[in-house]
Amino acid sequence: MARPPPTPLFVLRGSGAPINTLHFSCQEPSSALLFSGSGKGAIHVWNLHTRRAERVLEGHGGSSIVWVNTIGSKETLISQARDKRLCTWNLSEGRSDVTQSIFTGSVGFCQGSVMEMHPQRWLLAYPAEDMEELVELPSGVPVCSLKPDAKLGMLMCVKLWQPDGGCGPMLLAGYEDGSLALWDVAQRQILSRLTTHPEPLLCLDFDPVGLRGVSGSAERAVSSWVLDGQQNLQLRDTVELVNPGISQLRLRMDRRILASAGWDHRIRLFSWKKLKPLAVLQYHTDTALCVTFSDHKDSRLGLMAAGSKDQRISIWSVYNDS
Amino acid sequence: MTYDVGGNERRAIDSMPQTCSKEVCYACVRQKRLTSAGNLHFRRMSQIDNAKVAFAFLRPACVLLTREQSIQNVQQLNAQLREVSDLALQQLQEYVLFPLRFVLKTPGSKRENLIQAVVEGIEYVLSNTCVHSWDLLQELFSELCLCLSSPGKPGKPASVSEDLKAAVIQSLDALLHAAYGDIALQLYKPVMLPGLGAAISLLLALAEEEKSRKVQAAALKCLLILLLQCDCKEPHLWVGQEESCALATAFACFLPGITQVLTRVITGDMKQGHAVTVKAIKVWYRTVGLVMADEQLSNADSSEASAADLGKVGELLVKRTQTWVKETSEKVAILLKRITSCVSVHQHWKVRLEMVNLSENLLSTCQKSLKQCISNLLEVLVGKLNDENSAVRDKCSAALEAIALRNQTGDNHTFNDILSENLHSLATSLPRLMRISDDQHKLFILNVFLGYLKVLGPKVAMVLNSAAHLQRISKALMQVLELDITDVRIVEERSSSSLEHTGLGPHELYTQKKHFVYFTDANIFSSLQQICRFLGYYGNLYLLVDHFMDLYRESSVYRKQCALVLNEIISGAAGVGLVAKHKYGPVSKDDLKAAVMSIIEEYTSLNNWHLPTNSVESDRDEDSHFSHLRILSITNSVQENHNQLLPAKKSSTVHQMNSNIWQICIQLEGIGCFAVALGVDFRLLLMTTLYPVLEKAGDETLLISHSALCSLWDICRACGYSSLKELINMNSDYLLNDISLNLQRLSLHPHAPRVLAVMFYHSDASLLPLVGDVVQDVLTALDLSYDERAPVFCAVLHSLVKALVRWFPAKLGEKKYSAPAGARCEDPLDVRQFLLDYHKLRCQAEGLLEDEGDTGDIEKPSTVPDSDEDLEDPDKKPELPSHITMAKDVLERCIHLLSDPSLRLRLKVLDVLELCVCVLQSHEDVLLPLVHRCWPALLQRLTNDDPLAVLWAIKVLCTLGETCGDFLRKRVSQEVLPRLTGSLLKQAPLSAKAGPIYAHTLAFKLQLAVLEGLGTLCLRLDLADSDLDLVSEACLPYLSCRQPARLQEACLSVFRHLIKVDPDAVWFMLNELYCPRSYEPPHSDLHAVRLAGMGRPKNEYTDNILRLLAEIH
Repeated sequence: MARPPPTPLFVLRGSGAPINTLHFSCQEPSSALLFSGSGKGAIHVWNLHTRRAERVLEGHGGSSIVWVNTIGSKETLISQARDKRLCTWNLSEGRSDVTQSIFTGSVGFCQGSVMEMHPQRWLLAYPAEDMEELVELPSGVPVCSLKPDAKLGMLMCVKLWQPDGGCGPMLLAGYEDGSLALWDVAQRQILSRLTTHPEPLLCLDFDPVGLRGVSGSAERAVSSWVLDGQQNLQLRDTVELVNPGISQLRLRMDRRILASAGWDHRIRLFSWKKLKPLAVLQYHTDTALCVTFSDHKDSRLGLMAAGSKDQRISIWSVYNDS
Repeated sequence: MTYDVGGNERRAIDSMPQTCSKEVCYACVRQKRLTSAGNLHFRRMSQIDNAKVAFAFLRPACVLLTREQSIQNVQQLNAQLREVSDLALQQLQEYVLFPLRFVLKTPGSKRENLIQAVVEGIEYVLSNTCVHSWDLLQELFSELCLCLSSPGKPGKPASVSEDLKAAVIQSLDALLHAAYGDIALQLYKPVMLPGLGAAISLLLALAEEEKSRKVQAAALKCLLILLLQCDCKEPHLWVGQEESCALATAFACFLPGITQVLTRVITGDMKQGHAVTVKAIKVWYRTVGLVMADEQLSNADSSEASAADLGKVGELLVKRTQTWVKETSEKVAILLKRITSCVSVHQHWKVRLEMVNLSENLLSTCQKSLKQCISNLLEVLVGKLNDENSAVRDKCSAALEAIALRNQTGDNHTFNDILSENLHSLATSLPRLMRISDDQHKLFILNVFLGYLKVLGPKVAMVLNSAAHLQRISKALMQVLELDITDVRIVEERSSSSLEHTGLGPHELYTQKKHFVYFTDANIFSSLQQICRFLGYYGNLYLLVDHFMDLYRESSVYRKQCALVLNEIISGAAGVGLVAKHKYGPVSKDDLKAAVMSIIEEYTSLNNWHLPTNSVESDRDEDSHFSHLRILSITNSVQENHNQLLPAKKSSTVHQMNSNIWQICIQLEGIGCFAVALGVDFRLLLMTTLYPVLEKAGDETLLISHSALCSLWDICRACGYSSLKELINMNSDYLLNDISLNLQRLSLHPHAPRVLAVMFYHSDASLLPLVGDVVQDVLTALDLSYDERAPVFCAVLHSLVKALVRWFPAKLGEKKYSAPAGARCEDPLDVRQFLLDYHKLRCQAEGLLEDEGDTGDIEKPSTVPDSDEDLEDPDKKPELPSHITMAKDVLERCIHLLSDPSLRLRLKVLDVLELCVCVLQSHEDVLLPLVHRCWPALLQRLTNDDPLAVLWAIKVLCTLGETCGDFLRKRVSQEVLPRLTGSLLKQAPLSAKAGPIYAHTLAFKLQLAVLEGLGTLCLRLDLADSDLDLVSEACLPYLSCRQPARLQEACLSVFRHLIKVDPDAVWFMLNELYCPRSYEPPHSDLHAVRLAGMGRPKNEYTDNILRLLAEIH
């Protein structure tokens, strides 16, 4: 008999606004944190031990936070909001200062993407008005802008990744017309394009080891695609869902579990290998907006967090026993 | 004999034997004191110093006494002796003693008081002088002994008066004190053995058989002096090794006699007074300690070789060979056991102190020779370690420390081995002893147990590593701590309401007294607690916790005891409530926390937390809950034994339920203990523990809710919160987390709504943002299961709305008096309000006139603040505050629940409805549509329901009337009043004729309810003329004195209310019925007032009407 679906380990309340984005920082298990960005412009720093908000950062004048991430340690935070700004924060020793503020010009919902290129040097991709901008952090030196020639519509999601074998960083971008593009950052050109969905592409995640990715949109399916040896994107299979609309797709660090946040309030879990549906987690009472896995070094401690429009963050412990 | 003082001194010093110049002998000390006293003029001035003068002074008396042995002469001499100084007396010692001794020696029977006077004389002389000569000592010794012994049988005490015996013993005492060092030692030469033996047996016989305590004590003291170990303040002979060896050899012969007799004395009559017992113990252990001393026995062979040439006396002499020592020590061990078993629990602390001295002394001097006794002696010491008397305690711990120190430096293993061996055997016999012995003895045994733990100290951990020891100890604790759970009251006592109880302060709570099967004394329990704590303090925490947790899981029989022990172990590990001698590094905080977490997890797991405690609790939710549990326990755990399935049965016995209740209580107490143990660190554990504890705080069983409350207070204190309110408020997020999760699994956690209710009760408005989604959850859950859970959820909604009313006190001022009734201005307080209202009305009137022109202008400014929202979504109404939305949602549910078949639920819903209306009164646009929707259901309650519901509904209607005013007035006058008044009128003739039984009928209750409610309704709704007429007409019949008294009262109250609304109309109406006075027109031109009631004879209404009229005027 299949086990009943689990309930959340615990629920974080009190953000007072829809949770748009979540990010774990659990490198040191003793001081595990979860960052959440709310629809009212507040970034909550949750202590996962006390299960309470340690601090609340307000730096975007109340406009909806689109994306939060940390670089290096949990002391440097990047936040992107719909006030067309992207800020880096210094949170060390109890500070909460904005160290950098980049004007993005984008009011869309596209989240940025960050990748460590060299030790202590990161590459950040963020959406600008009608193109992708790349900058190096922490220096803030612009690297390049990637402007698609064809009219693909608004940029919806991006993912930076570093292929093996010495090539430069690659960027996967999803567009409003439902197409997916693979950019070579060094050459500033699209290597391959694939239309995966008839609707705007809302989210994607990519496995740089297996060279496989998934994307979701407003329709009732999750598409998976691969990158072949010639750097061509090829559509693989699609997984049909009961209800339409996927807000976010996230692959766990061990590349075994894929989680989706659905408009039907549910979090779905799939095995990454075959995209077999594993579980439907039902807790939220409104659209699930984001889902993310923790970066615990010890995978048994691993957590999953989901944020929803119902202003709650649910923390789950799923498939950790094996 | 003409010596001056200095010469005398010289002579005295010269005459001292050689030994005395080397050693401090007590007679020498006395000699020195004598001389120095002479030099320093300390003596009494009237005394005769000069020996010559003294001689002349005493001589006549001495001569007279020799000639005529009469009591007067003796007394004469005795009196004169006191006139002579000690120095002079020393020189005349033998001369003076001669006539006295002569009296004793003269054959023939003498009168007792003569002898007594003589002996007293001798005693005086001896106690103030020294005995230099051996002959004198020997003779006096035997003469005095002769006085004591019966003439026929030497060795048996004579049957003489107590005073005489006392005097003789006293002078023996004096004699021995007066003897010079080396001549005193001659007493113990083998030749003297028979004489010494006779004296000793005499003294022993006196000590044992004599009735007088004084004599007994004196005899024992005398024995002590014979041992040269007197404990009085006089300076004593210091005994060297050689001398003490001689002494010991002598006493070795008497050891059996002395020890046996004294054992009888000690274990004899408990009422003989502590002084005798103390002395006897002292003599006992001094004797044993002397004879069996390790250091003597080691070189015994060499010193006792010379005993061969003593002839017959030599046979008496005992050779302390190895075999002798072995045999003797065995016998001594037997005697010691008898003594300890009898005296250990002696009431008087001095006796117990002496026992400590005994143990200490023997342990320090005879450890090798008395091997068999060591454990017994240690037990004595250990048992006294927790004595109630501090002197005993201190002495004891000092002794133990010294022993431990000595043993650790030497071969330390034996000591600990003996201790742990003792502990083991004690643990083995503990359950048996706890069953058979009395409380005092039990307490003693437990103190011994505790003492062992304390002495072992950190080595307890090592002892516990042995599985055998741990098993024994835990089994013993399990059996001893068995709770008595037969009391029926445990199940029956109910707490009325969870919320009221949580308001109690800490001082109003008391820990529940537990009843145990094997003991009743509270001290015994606290002693057991201490034992567990020390186990936790010194033992390996992980080992102990694991062991007892295994036991806990293993069997439900031991579960309560295990929990008790675990609680105390954790307390102990944190060093709570311990007076530990050794400063021992306590367990690390992390370890403690880990242990506590695992225990709490076990305690609060479904199987151990949700135990059936109540057979009457036949609510469906409980039922389904348990059936669920049962399934769980079948599917989940294979090793689940029969016992654990049992509680799931509906028909569990009272016994079983009592047991469950106690288990929960103990677990709750445990959580409190853990909080105290962890202190502020416990805050982190609140996220898992607070919810279960609160759940139990609302339990229906009094015992459980009390325990839960106690542990809540413990948590409060431990975590630094000043009140329960603060505790709950600060941790509401943790609570809500569990509540919201459990609301989704109600079959498993049926108490989540209850916890939520408790939270509402304690929290404030700051909770609102957090609680919003949980309220939604509750409403959803309610929607999903109306029939099953409505009562539970209704309680939650009630507490929610009540809290909302409290958190957002409505601004009543504006609305309440917007339609003031004319009659109200009579109240002096309302004058100001009246004017204000009047002014407002006028302004409104003027404003209205202005408004008629351009209504649009007014409304625009009000929308300006919301312009942001409006711009984005022009159709959307401005967002309501969350509490309004909540109240609205709740009210919507109430509409359906108003017609629930259960009366209790309907009443509850009416309450909720009223509270909702209070919350919503500031938002009329929300309120009025809702009121409209619930009107039909409410109307049913008002007109067609149980009397109680009618009353409640009228109350709600009054509140509605205040808030909604006009909106309701018409409906009330059209739909409600006709029906109510109709039924009143219809029933009036019936009730007027009815007998006393009528008061128990439904109809009566309905009448009463309507009458009680009508008055307020009229007043609060500001009903107008025609309605008032309707009401008063319906009520008039009830003014009749034929109606039941309570209906009359209720009716009067209606009229009183009506008087407030419209006094004139009421006055008129009443006067129409009966007018007590006639009204003469002031002027003939005016019409005479004609009232229908005028001039009528007294009728059934008269009394009540008069009362009312009196109130109008």
